[in-house]
Amino acid sequence: MRIRMLLPAFVLAVGAAAGGCATSEEWAEWRSHSSHFASGQHATFSLRNREGTAPRVARADIDAARRENWWGKAITVSPDQIFQN
Amino acid sequence: MASRWAAVGLLVLAVGGGGGGALAGPIDEKVIPLERYTTSKGRALAVAHQPRLLKFSEYVYGCMPWVDAQKQSIGFQRPKFAEGDDRYFSTWVIIDQKEDPQFAAAPQPRRMSAMFSRFGMDLMRRMATIHDVVVDSNVQGFSVVVSWLKPGTLKSGQPVNESVAVFVEKAAALDYLEGRMPADELGRRVRSLAFDGQKDLGAVPLEIWDDPFMATYKIPNYEPPPGITC
Repeated sequence: MRIRMLLPAFVLAVGAAAGGCATSEEWAEWRSHSSHFASGQHATFSLRNREGTAPRVARADIDAARRENWWGKAITVSPDQIFQN
Repeated sequence: MASRWAAVGLLVLAVGGGGGGALAGPIDEKVIPLERYTTSKGRALAVAHQPRLLKFSEYVYGCMPWVDAQKQSIGFQRPKFAEGDDRYFSTWVIIDQKEDPQFAAAPQPRRMSAMFSRFGMDLMRRMATIHDVVVDSNVQGFSVVVSWLKPGTLKSGQPVNESVAVFVEKAAALDYLEGRMPADELGRRVRSLAFDGQKDLGAVPLEIWDDPFMATYKIPNYEPPPGITC
């Protein structure tokens, strides 16, 4: 009887653990990811190529790429929900 | 009156010492303006440390372009939960991050832990190097808010940011940063507030680990603005 009661919990726990394992492998990939900067790729498109010099990305290029990449105003927590002045 | 002139003088000095010129806008707009402080303690801290806040803002702007500090977010904030006038040296950053299937597959609390470990801890580490602020007895601790695009919401047409706000008492932060406290204990000592868009998720149990991303990531061919040394 007790075993029967515990079985669903055991199945759930194993399922959760298996899910966790699958995620942790993928997770390791995210953790080693080094190129997830959204505006980074755009920034390389607007490199200011100067003849005879290596191309350079300036902070202004990144700001411009970010504006170009802007997806609209995201719903974000308001400062008043976190802080009081 | 004298204190008002002193404050203005400090601000002028600070702006001069910061990025200046074309950079002054994106750098000083991130710092909480003096008039936003509603208590004398908060305002006194801001006046005393304005040059350092601007310098920190300049550093984040010039040296971490994948991080976007929120306007009027660098300063001395009082958390909503504080009963007294506890002031935390604070920063709020939005992470400019591509949609990533591995990240999207992780449960929300895991994403909170990961983003704070990757970005929040690094910023806190850098904030803790600002000696004059750290030793100021009116500074209670550090606070970093990290926000990022919630996976899948861009496609849905209404982007939503997930956010985690973390508050750490100064002693605990320094114990961790100076190697006297393990990460799991720090995770138990911080106070966190989690948000899904504007929905308050309450405290989230945070797992904190070392993530070298911020210290090692470089944008190929990136050149910091003139006058900023990274």
